Amino acid sequence: MSKLKKENKILDKLKNVFDITGEIKYKKRVSIKADKKNVSSILLFLKNQKGYIHLNHISCVDWIEENKFELIYIVWNPNNKLTVLVHTRIDRENPVMENIDTIWDQANTYEREFREMYGIEFPGLVGRKEFILEDWDNIPPMRRDFDSQKYALENFATRPGREDAQDVREAIQKRSGEELPDFAKKYSRD
Amino acid sequence: MDNNKNIEQVSKIKTIGIPTQEEIKQAQIDFSPRCTSAGRVNDKETQKMVEYIMNFARKHSLFVLAYGTGCGAIEIPATMTSRYDAERFGMRGAATPRQADVLLITGYLSTKTLKRVIRVYEQMQDPKYVIAFGSCTINGGMYFDSYNTINALDRYLPVDVYIAGCMPRPESVINGIVKLQGLIQNGNAGGGKCYKDNLDWYRENQQKVIKNWDFPDDYNW
Repeated sequence: MSKLKKENKILDKLKNVFDITGEIKYKKRVSIKADKKNVSSILLFLKNQKGYIHLNHISCVDWIEENKFELIYIVWNPNNKLTVLVHTRIDRENPVMENIDTIWDQANTYEREFREMYGIEFPGLVGRKEFILEDWDNIPPMRRDFDSQKYALENFATRPGREDAQDVREAIQKRSGEELPDFAKKYSRD
Repeated sequence: MDNNKNIEQVSKIKTIGIPTQEEIKQAQIDFSPRCTSAGRVNDKETQKMVEYIMNFARKHSLFVLAYGTGCGAIEIPATMTSRYDAERFGMRGAATPRQADVLLITGYLSTKTLKRVIRVYEQMQDPKYVIAFGSCTINGGMYFDSYNTINALDRYLPVDVYIAGCMPRPESVINGIVKLQGLIQNGNAGGGKCYKDNLDWYRENQQKVIKNWDFPDDYNW
């Protein structure tokens, strides 16, 4: 484990200070799971004490089965080139997350996007409610319970396809004469 | 008696050769130049001839509005520059909608962009033509199930020429231009009139997609 010395050092330090679980994904990449209320203090600690001055990205995942949103804050240290991913899960029914655009200004853009695309509220967030979409009156479109195709069929005019359009897999199968297994047939077009 | 005398005098004078009002009108039509004022043509043959010349001029000076949507706009520099050189067909860029003849819809149109495109199209002067690029404008293409891109462009704007492909190469773009030139020469192109005649239908479709319709009421193009 001598190779992952830097990674172990930061993980141990974080484990000592905060109540987190974490693992080393691979070289130069440390992933930790933290509680919602600890996230801003972890990020402040990483930025001010440990030199993780760059916020790479904030990402959001919709875990509809577990009724949770997962927010992932990715921060980077330019000196030792380490990346730390801070995972946190918030409630999906009434999603509220702490606003961190006082720590990094660029977080404002990500948070406005999440507000529009997932419906996550960030108290104290500055900026117009409307970010990329215009006159949107449905549920936030990046949520997994939003049916994009159904919405498109209802709202936009469509043109019917060709009547002689063939199933690609079947046509290739006929031409080449090979047998397809059942699991592959399942994914062909109906 | 006086009246009879007058009638006789008039009839005499008529035989001498002073024309009546009707004859004067007929003479004005017969001997006047064929185009009395700009755009007004008197007989059908001349109209045909003038239209032929005007169409010839139109098809060889297509000014394209420098406005790109989606990914197809990247084909335009290649089409315009030295390798494919669309300017030999008289095609070149125009800075503003009012100077342009052709509107290229180069790829998918989000509902947000559609609003701007309609505004731009209505600002263009007649005759105006629309060339639609790629499968996105025909049936949605790979964005057929997207929540914010329209699928069939011709429900919202009259399209003269479709160029199929994803994306069409500069050769097919030039093919589309030549096709449009042929349509212009035959007098079959120009969706502007179609748009004006069926404005209600187009407006209805547009307002289904654009929810906050804040166009000016007395908008006159």
